[in-house]
Amino acid sequence: MAYVRGRVRASVDAVEHLVGGLGTALLALGALFWAVVVAMTCLVGVGLRLAPGALRAVRSVADRERARLSRRGTPIPTPGPVPEELRDALRDPFVRREVGWVTLHSITGLVSGLVGLALPLYALQDITFPLWYRLVRPEDGAPGFFWWRIDGLSEALVVGVLGVGWLLAAIGFGPALARFQSWPGRWLLPPPPGVDLSLRVATLTATRAAALDAHAVELRRIERSLHDGTQNRLVAVNVLLGAARRAVRRDPDRADEILGQAQDAAEQALGELRTVVRGILPPVLDDRGLAGALAGLASSCAVPCRLAVAVTVRCAASVEATAYFVVAEALTNVVRHSGASRVDVAVRREHDRLLITVEDDGRGDADEARGSGLTGIRRRVEAYDGRMTLTSPSGGPTRMHVELPCGS
Amino acid sequence: MRIVIAEDDPLLREGLALLLRAEELDVVATAGTPGEFLVAVDEHAPDVAIVDVRMPPTHTDEGIVAAVEARRRRPGLAVLVLSAYVEQAFATELFSVGAAGLGYLLKERVGRVEEFLAALRRVADGGSVIDPEVVAQLLARNRRPDTALAELSPREREVLGLMAEGLGNTAIAERLFVTDGAVHKHIRSIFAKLQLPPDDRADRRVTAVLRYLDGDQR
Repeated sequence: MAYVRGRVRASVDAVEHLVGGLGTALLALGALFWAVVVAMTCLVGVGLRLAPGALRAVRSVADRERARLSRRGTPIPTPGPVPEELRDALRDPFVRREVGWVTLHSITGLVSGLVGLALPLYALQDITFPLWYRLVRPEDGAPGFFWWRIDGLSEALVVGVLGVGWLLAAIGFGPALARFQSWPGRWLLPPPPGVDLSLRVATLTATRAAALDAHAVELRRIERSLHDGTQNRLVAVNVLLGAARRAVRRDPDRADEILGQAQDAAEQALGELRTVVRGILPPVLDDRGLAGALAGLASSCAVPCRLAVAVTVRCAASVEATAYFVVAEALTNVVRHSGASRVDVAVRREHDRLLITVEDDGRGDADEARGSGLTGIRRRVEAYDGRMTLTSPSGGPTRMHVELPCGS
Repeated sequence: MRIVIAEDDPLLREGLALLLRAEELDVVATAGTPGEFLVAVDEHAPDVAIVDVRMPPTHTDEGIVAAVEARRRRPGLAVLVLSAYVEQAFATELFSVGAAGLGYLLKERVGRVEEFLAALRRVADGGSVIDPEVVAQLLARNRRPDTALAELSPREREVLGLMAEGLGNTAIAERLFVTDGAVHKHIRSIFAKLQLPPDDRADRRVTAVLRYLDGDQR
């Protein structure tokens, strides 16, 4: 039973694979057609200008096939853009192999894709034929066999059995057909031997550099918030304690007042330390992802909060942490200062940027110069080369918009 | 003594002002940005400025830049720079034009009010103050055995450190529980070993020593 289930699943996968391959084969056919036209016009000179464009078209189809094949097996790295100069482009080892692939795949990919798609469709049509054979006139014949006159149920059932045959063929040959279809791509699209290594090293170096960079940014942010927030608070506590000690003998009442201020400063220091620690990587992000973590914030917000998160893919941990921090701080501000009756939080991803909008219906007049919350948000966002804009006219509404780059 | 405070953290700024006013010192203005600070210096003609190193917009060395500019506008203005941490490059930048009436202290020293006030007075009187931590770092970076520093005796190194902090002979003698004469002898010996021109004025000694310590490791 498990064997049958495995076979069926494999053949459904194969159909999906074949349909995808049919798509790239059609694109390949288009690109091939364009390349042939350009090649022919090259004979009269005009085509020389168009040739790089045609090669780029071939490359973009090949990249699609690479991505498709990478999803189901060994990943095939993409070689990057085609060289600008035609002479360099023609020397590029990838370009030559891609031209070979586009020719081969536009034929084999198309044929195997059509066959692979037709088999299950025939099977469906013929197996169900006994149910609807009365709807077609007998002289029109069986589906696909117009010369085969169907006069009664027994003949219709024979067509049904034929359908079972198609089905078995689809299950039996589907996976092999899919393998055959991806063979030109597996053969010609990976980097030729020798080129492979350098390309891989380049990709690794780039991603590693980016990771280190993000890491450095994160460390700088933590260092800043510790220095400018917590440490300053503690220095203030220290200064006030010094002043209080000096005042104890001269003016005990005054000393008590100063000690009160010192305590306030110590409490602020604790609060900021908590923010810093929470901001390093909120545990809730790990557990529930950005959307879940934000939902938690929204539901615990004292002002009714509507949340719309349209982010399907996860961003880098540091970006998510920043987004979380921004929303948390913004909601704290709304509760503390705005007097709003509702707040809307929207988070969405547009290309390589994460966009966050927080809007309330409060009294407005939010000022970055007062209150460290907004400054904190701006600093953290700017540490990521992000942008923050704040509009808060007197009387409201207050709208904060933050853009964070989140890579691709 | 007329004082201007430049510090971007409101709480710390007010705390400092409160502390100094409680000591019956004349805080004539406080500023949160380098721009405000320079305006206050022009307007109030202070004798001393207390300046935080990290100020907006980039929170790097804006305070130092503003302090240097303030001294250009108002020659003789004493400046005490406060820093959250020791950045020896900032100290070097600050003292590059001489050490008279200049100080560089860690922020936490302010809590020891008596010492802080003494430092403030020393700077206001044209002396110099350098945080022991800065000197310790400079000395620590000069541990190469082939330098002239290696020839100093432990006692002489101690005296060198205190000299770099801006202390005069009497103050050094008090710290080390020795006589003025003994300190004088040590200092002469240090200057000879390091081949520095001898000088009795504390601020010039600071410049010389700093230049020696800083230049040596390049």
